Amino acid sequence: MPVDFDSRPRAVAGRAPDVFDPKGGFVPMRSYDEDEAVDFVIVGTGAGGGTLAARLAELGFSVVAFDAGPFFRPLLDFASDETAQNSLYWTDKRVCDGENPIKMGGNNSGKAVGGSTVHFAMVSLRFRPEWFKSRSALGYGADWPLDWREMWHYYTVAERALAIAGPVHYPWGPKRPRYPYRAHEINAAGRLLAQGCEALGYRWAETPLATVSAPRGKSPPCVYRGFCRFGCSTNAKQSALTVWIPRALKAGAEIRDLAMVGRIEVDDQGLARGVHYVREGKWRFQRARHVVISAYAIETPRLLLNSATDRFPQGLANSSGLVGRNLMTQSNQAAWGRMEDQVRWYKGPPSLTITEHWNYEDRGKDFFGGYCWMGQGPMPIEWVSVQTGARGLWGERLRTEMMDYNHQIGVKMVGEMLPDEANRVTLDSDTDQYGLPIPRITYRWGDNDKRLIKHALDQMMMSLDSVGATKLFRQEDDTNHLAGTARMGFTPETSVVDADCRSWDIPNLWICDGSVFPTTGGVNPALTIQAIALRTADRIKALAIRGEL
Amino acid sequence: MQEGSCQDNGSHTRDHAAPEGGAGSSVPDAPMSAELAPAARAPLYAARDLNRCSGLLALSVLLDSSVEHYRGNFHNKAMYTPLSVSTLSLAASVHGVTGRRPLGHKTRLAVFALAIVTGVAGTLFHVYDIIRKPGGFSWQNLFYSAPLGAPSALTVAGLTGFFAERVRRGQTQVFGQDAARLAAITSAVAMVGTTAEAGLLHFRGAFHNPFMFLPVAMPPIAAGFLAYAGITTPRTAYPFTRRLLTATSLMGLAGTAFHVYGVSRAMGGWRNWQQNMVDGPPIPAPPSFSALAFAGIAALRLLGAKAPNGPERLGATKTGATGAVPRA
Amino acid sequence: MHRALISPYTNYDVLEKRDSLSWNDATRRAIAKRLSIPRVPRFFSERQWQTLDAVCRRILPQADDRPPIPIAALLDATLLIDDTQGFRTDPLPYDQDAWRLGLKALDIEAQAIYGAAFHVLPPSTQDGLLSRAQGGDLHHPAWQPMTAQLFFEKRILVDIPAMYYSHPTSWSEIGFGGPASPRGYVRMELNRRDPWEAIETSAPRIQEDPYAR
Ligand SMILES: Cc1cc2nc3c(=O)[nH]c(=O)nc-3n(C[C@H](O)[C@H](O)[C@H](O)COP(=O)(O)OP(=O)(O)OC[C@H]3O[C@@H](n4cnc5c(N)ncnc54)[C@H](O)[C@@H]3O)c2cc1C
Ligand code: SF4
Repeated sequence: MPVDFDSRPRAVAGRAPDVFDPKGGFVPMRSYDEDEAVDFVIVGTGAGGGTLAARLAELGFSVVAFDAGPFFRPLLDFASDETAQNSLYWTDKRVCDGENPIKMGGNNSGKAVGGSTVHFAMVSLRFRPEWFKSRSALGYGADWPLDWREMWHYYTVAERALAIAGPVHYPWGPKRPRYPYRAHEINAAGRLLAQGCEALGYRWAETPLATVSAPRGKSPPCVYRGFCRFGCSTNAKQSALTVWIPRALKAGAEIRDLAMVGRIEVDDQGLARGVHYVREGKWRFQRARHVVISAYAIETPRLLLNSATDRFPQGLANSSGLVGRNLMTQSNQAAWGRMEDQVRWYKGPPSLTITEHWNYEDRGKDFFGGYCWMGQGPMPIEWVSVQTGARGLWGERLRTEMMDYNHQIGVKMVGEMLPDEANRVTLDSDTDQYGLPIPRITYRWGDNDKRLIKHALDQMMMSLDSVGATKLFRQEDDTNHLAGTARMGFTPETSVVDADCRSWDIPNLWICDGSVFPTTGGVNPALTIQAIALRTADRIKALAIRGEL
Repeated sequence: MQEGSCQDNGSHTRDHAAPEGGAGSSVPDAPMSAELAPAARAPLYAARDLNRCSGLLALSVLLDSSVEHYRGNFHNKAMYTPLSVSTLSLAASVHGVTGRRPLGHKTRLAVFALAIVTGVAGTLFHVYDIIRKPGGFSWQNLFYSAPLGAPSALTVAGLTGFFAERVRRGQTQVFGQDAARLAAITSAVAMVGTTAEAGLLHFRGAFHNPFMFLPVAMPPIAAGFLAYAGITTPRTAYPFTRRLLTATSLMGLAGTAFHVYGVSRAMGGWRNWQQNMVDGPPIPAPPSFSALAFAGIAALRLLGAKAPNGPERLGATKTGATGAVPRA
Repeated sequence: MHRALISPYTNYDVLEKRDSLSWNDATRRAIAKRLSIPRVPRFFSERQWQTLDAVCRRILPQADDRPPIPIAALLDATLLIDDTQGFRTDPLPYDQDAWRLGLKALDIEAQAIYGAAFHVLPPSTQDGLLSRAQGGDLHHPAWQPMTAQLFFEKRILVDIPAMYYSHPTSWSEIGFGGPASPRGYVRMELNRRDPWEAIETSAPRIQEDPYAR
């Protein structure tokens, strides 16, 4: 555990940190009694949980949201430093195995109020409509029980809430409303991507980003410092921490930071009663009428499995046996090269331009699924890990190559990997600092995944070649973003939750985060997670009105 | 700027008797020397008014291009040109405002001509900067590449100064057109151009503050009335148009205040001026609305002087209600 | 034999920006702590430290003309407070155990093959051993449950460079802007530089690259 951050909870005694106050002030917070059964307990406050906490509270429900991580004040706590910001990530013990083990840590998930959105790269993309029906329309994966038109509506709501800065016209997919904020100025790396696309005859666009290009409320415009994946110290980033959590607090939700939920308790009728959690070294219990798990694709199944009882020996919500299965990551390979010009790619958010060409073009593919690629701007440590990981460099060669840092360019894909039941999260015999069994994460790329990666790498190499980059090389092994492990679907036999994110087995247990994805698409997931959470909140309200909650 | 050209040297001229203060202040007519009829002095006042505008515009260009070209690292030596030319125009304008003789001045004229040409060349440079980039005439490049409208402000400054020279000499024709009308129409067109620029940049800023609509909504209306005045038969007075123009000029000043505030609320505020003055809202931009509005008011005065009923200020006092002034 | 590597940013020192708007207090605190790291083993034993230090010198040989970056001390501190990524990849143990085990095994290999401790071997011999580890050509049972290759790829080549490039001296060397808050950057175009960015004074050395096309 990183020790820098003082590990006392900050959201206590009826107040929570005011993330916008440079002096470290607080905002008032409603607090609930542990014996009081609140309408909703939410486990996790990231893209899924943070959004849901805000919306459910705004719809009039009583909400307590837990997060195992700290409640940061970006203006005061965040250093401009790759190493110091390790405190943002989920770095508890985990074991990875399989033919292509996933790298966890900073590469994959956050541990903070605001979840992974505190350090995410802000890329905010919509799914291609057909992906919601990938089985029936495109012949692979599984269909979602959601209609794309409904999702289109919730995407719009999410984009407004996050003041997404995007291009005036987005060149792919069905018409979407104009992005609330204008696209950012693109940096040299982004320009080179655009130039490469134009050479290949593909369209490109400014990437829609969740960081403001003009003032918004208390968020100043982005200063192009480029440390986005290490926390945004200006609050330009529109994360769950700066958007949903303040809304949740204002609407009367309570946030409990540094509160790790270890087990969901289920009563004799098979209904969830509340959650056991540890805060300030003590195990406690919070009663609730409904429990929502939004702990992301590793911790959600882990919590469900760790909550097994005699009645549910395989873990909660797991009658289908699918909890923990169909884990999906996204292929995140890259092509890199060197320009004679100075690029200085550390300036600006890393992914300022994008091409979604191969998400929308199906001809000429020998694989299912799609991918996009975006500009890159790795910081030195990340960059050296590419040089050592992809090329095995060390010694003087390594130091010399690193001196080309300011001349380097690269493009990186986000590619769809297909669901596979063998890719999964299980419990290991080892335990963590709370005494809870840790997750074991098993992963293997399928043949389709490998064909998609090869196609993408060839394309990306061509694009770099066409802008005159030299010393090209491929980074073959990176992955990023997680999904699956509690998929939504049409029947209790083939899925864990229904379209409303309600578990089939336990009617007052809900799962609302990236783990409900049946397929993962070729774009970054956070906007879709937030759109699903927005929809779920509306559905919960509708069900409550009909007395079906 | 060359000091004391032959025309100025020690020559005693009729305007020695002219009172201080611009034509904008309503100067009492009584103490005027008998030699120069009030109607004949109107051109001088108007010329100096126009010089004020050309000067303000040149100042705005000077500040704006300094910031923007500093941002561009002056990577092309030509990027120093607008700085020096706008400085020259500024000096020429100041010289024009302080000079009280109803005579033209060759150096001033040359400077203003240079400003016109530089503005045109700058526009071409900026067009090139946009089309050479991926995306060409895309929103991205219009937002963030060299601003298309900026160099033409220098052209307008030059034109205004040029008109001032002509008007000062009592010429009523410029380029074969009526000087007063031309001045009105030029300011109106420039105001619409500036509105387009403000509109573009405020669109880039997502109109995040409702006040950002004001400079897009008001100046075109003022420009419309001004242009209307420029193409219809001159009237003795234009009280409504004048008020609109005054409001536009005040809006320009208020805009500056808003932009100062905008810089202060960006990350690091004024301490981080090296970033926020450049990336933030451009402080020198809004006053160009004021400058153009002043030019419009000067043009109105010229038009008023041409009206059958005499100069605007006389007309205004005597027959304020006579003309069918467009009233909203 | 030691070819001096000259940085293309000879006049650039990122630490000169320490008191400027490019650094906020959180950054100053973090970097001050890093710069004052105790240069003695606290997590490692004396012997492991000697081996580690020798490995660091081979993985990232340092310039002769400036104070070296204390790579071993930085790694020691990281492992001591467990500021790691937290996960492990089978069959590697967690970072702390992997490092202790790996350094010991490397030393045992050196003893077995050359009859001397790793840290006293000549640099070229050390390089040879490390290359064999990278190539999967060291098989002493002391590596178990890891392999020499996994240790080299997943620990040596990940952690040592991460320590080196966490240090401001390395940022100056590669011309990285370094910390940037509250002041970020303004000039984003190709070949443009903010006044507070590094000036490239010479082209970086371009060397033969077998990996290039
Ligand atoms: C480096 C990086 C860059 C990324 N960039 C992008 C991007 O540009 N665009 C994009 O769309 N996506 C991006 N992502 C992915 C995106 O951040 C995630 O997909 C998204 O945040 C997941 O949302 P979630 O709600 O499922 O989980 P999270 O946002 O991770 O939230 C889960 C929260 O639950 C908490 N939690 C977990 N278990 C417990 C427990 N037992 N008790 C209490 N609390 C618990 C965690 O602390 C965490 O805060 C990126 C991810 C990473 C790692
Ligand atoms: S580049 Fe912008 S979004 Fe990223 S960290 Fe900096 S200010 Fe925040």
